[in-house]
Amino acid sequence: MIAIRNVSKVYEGTKNPAVRDLSFDVPTGEVVALIGPSGCGKSTTMRMVNRLVEPDSGTISIDGEDVRSLRPETLRRHIGYAIQGVGLFPHWTVAQNIGVVPGLLQWDRTRIAERTHELLDLVGLDPAVYADKHHDELSGGEAQRVGVARALAADPPVLLMDEPFSAVDPLTRDRLHAEFRKIQSALRKTVLFVTHDMDEAAQLGDRIVVMRDGGLVQQDTPERVLAYPVDDFVASFGGTERALRRLSLAPVTEALYTPNTAGAEGPSVASTASLREALAIILKAGLPSIPVRDGDGAVVGAVSVESIVERFRRPLT
Amino acid sequence: MSRIRHLAAPVAAAAAYLVIAAATPAWRQVLGAVFPGESRLLYPDATPLALVWQHLELVLISSALSVAAGLALGVFVTRPAGADFYGVVADLTNLGQTFPPVAVFTLAVPLLGFGLRPTVLALALYGVLPVLRNTISGIEGVPADVLESASELGMRPWQRLLRVELPIALPVIMAGVRVSVIVNVATATIGAIAGAGGFGAPIINGLVNLAPAITLEGALLAAGLALTLDALFGGVERTIAHRERAAATAR
Repeated sequence: MIAIRNVSKVYEGTKNPAVRDLSFDVPTGEVVALIGPSGCGKSTTMRMVNRLVEPDSGTISIDGEDVRSLRPETLRRHIGYAIQGVGLFPHWTVAQNIGVVPGLLQWDRTRIAERTHELLDLVGLDPAVYADKHHDELSGGEAQRVGVARALAADPPVLLMDEPFSAVDPLTRDRLHAEFRKIQSALRKTVLFVTHDMDEAAQLGDRIVVMRDGGLVQQDTPERVLAYPVDDFVASFGGTERALRRLSLAPVTEALYTPNTAGAEGPSVASTASLREALAIILKAGLPSIPVRDGDGAVVGAVSVESIVERFRRPLT
Repeated sequence: MSRIRHLAAPVAAAAAYLVIAAATPAWRQVLGAVFPGESRLLYPDATPLALVWQHLELVLISSALSVAAGLALGVFVTRPAGADFYGVVADLTNLGQTFPPVAVFTLAVPLLGFGLRPTVLALALYGVLPVLRNTISGIEGVPADVLESASELGMRPWQRLLRVELPIALPVIMAGVRVSVIVNVATATIGAIAGAGGFGAPIINGLVNLAPAITLEGALLAAGLALTLDALFGGVERTIAHRERAAATAR
C-alpha cells in the first residue's frame, strides 16, 4: 500500500502550494486514478512517491516503509515508472531498454533476456520482431507498450504511471486500456495512475482521487464519483454525459431480472457485459428487453430499458 | 563483417599513404620532373617517411591532450556542480583558439625549452575548442525526456553519464575530434619553428633556402596525412552510426 499523509509542497519562487495537506491511500493490488486539471498537483504528487520531488512536509510510505529511508536511486529501481513521453533510450534496442532496471539490479544476462521476452509477450509485441528494433522504428502505440514493459521489468510491486497512454490515437488508447486491464488483473500491482481524462480514470481505476489546486476534492469508486460528485467542479469533470459513462462501469448483472420475459430467441447479451453494451443491443434490436446469457449460453434472466433505469434510480452503496 | 566494411577503404588509403611516403626515390623523380634543373629536391635531414613519424608524434600527443581536456571540461560544465563554470570555460577556450599558436610557441619556449614540448602545448590548447564545443552540444542535445527517464529508472548520475549521455552524444563528439585532429595536422607544421620537426621542417627549409621543391615535399606530405586521417575518422563515424543501426536491420 502507498500511504500519502498530510503531504505539502511549495515550489521555490511560487506563492501557492503545488500540493497542500494531501492524504490518501493506494491499497495493495489496486489502481488509484489521480485526476484533475493541468497544474492541480497530480504529477507532483506522483513524483514525490519516487522522490523525484521532495515534499516540504508530510510522509509517504510504501508498505509501511518511509520512502525517505532509501536512497532515491534504490527506491526508484523498485518502483515501475511509465510516462507520457515514454523516454526510451534512442541508442538502445527495445530489449536493452526493457532490460535497463534488471541491469541496474545486476541480474545476470540470461535472466534479463528471458524476462525481456516474457514482457514483450505480455504487452503484445512479438519478441522475434521487436526485440532488436530501435525507438525510431516504433509507432506511438508500440513505444508506449515498450514503456509499460520497461516499467514492469524488475517486477516491482508498485507502479507509477503519468498519463502513459495520452500521446496515442483514441483507437490505440482503447486497445492499450484493455490490455492494461488484462495485465493488471493478472499481476495485481499497486498502481498510482495520473490522468486528466475522466474516461480513462473510470476505465482503469478501482478508485478515483480528484484533485484541484493541490488539494483533494473527492475520492471514491469511479461510479460513485460520477453519480455523486461533491461539487460542480467534479461534476463538470465528469461531463454532461456522466450518466452515460456510468453505463460502462456497471455490469449487466446489476440490472438483471428473473424470470426472463424476453423469450430465448433473438439478440441477447452476455452476463459479463456492461450495461452500456446491453443498452446498445436493446437500441439496435428495437426491443424493450433482451435475454442475458451466461458463459455456457444458458439464459439466466433478462435486462430491459426499465430495469436499467431502475438500477440508476437505486442509491449506490 | 559489415562493421569492418566502412573502415576497409580508409585503412587501405592509410597504407597507400605510408607506401608512397616511404618511396624516397620516387619523390626525387616526381619533384625533379616538376622542377627541372633544380638540384635541391628533398629535405636533406630526414626522409619523407621519417617526417611522417615526427609529424604523427606531434599530432597524436597533442590531439590526445586536446580530446582529454575537451571531453573532461565538456562533461564538467554540463554537470550541476560545473554549471557555474560554463561561461568561464567557454571564454577561455575561445581565447585559446584565437590566440595565434606561433605566439604560444614563443611564449612557451622560455618555460619549456625548444622542441616537442612547447609545440605540443600550443597545439593541444589550440585543439581543445572543437572537442569541447561538440562535447557540450552533444550532451545538451540528449532529449530531456530521455534524461528524465534515466533518473526515474534509478540510474545514478555517473551511470546516466556513461550509459546514456556520452553514448548518445558520441557521434557529435567524434565530429569535433575529427575537426580538431585535421586542423592540428596543418597547424603542427608551425612546430618546426620551435625545432619540433615534422612537415614544417621541409616547408621552412624550402622557404629559407629558396628551394620550392622541398617546400612542396612538406606540403604534399601534410595534405596527404590530413586527407588520410579525415578518411579514417569518416570510417570510424560511419562504423559508430552503423553499429547503432546494425541490430535493427539484421532481421
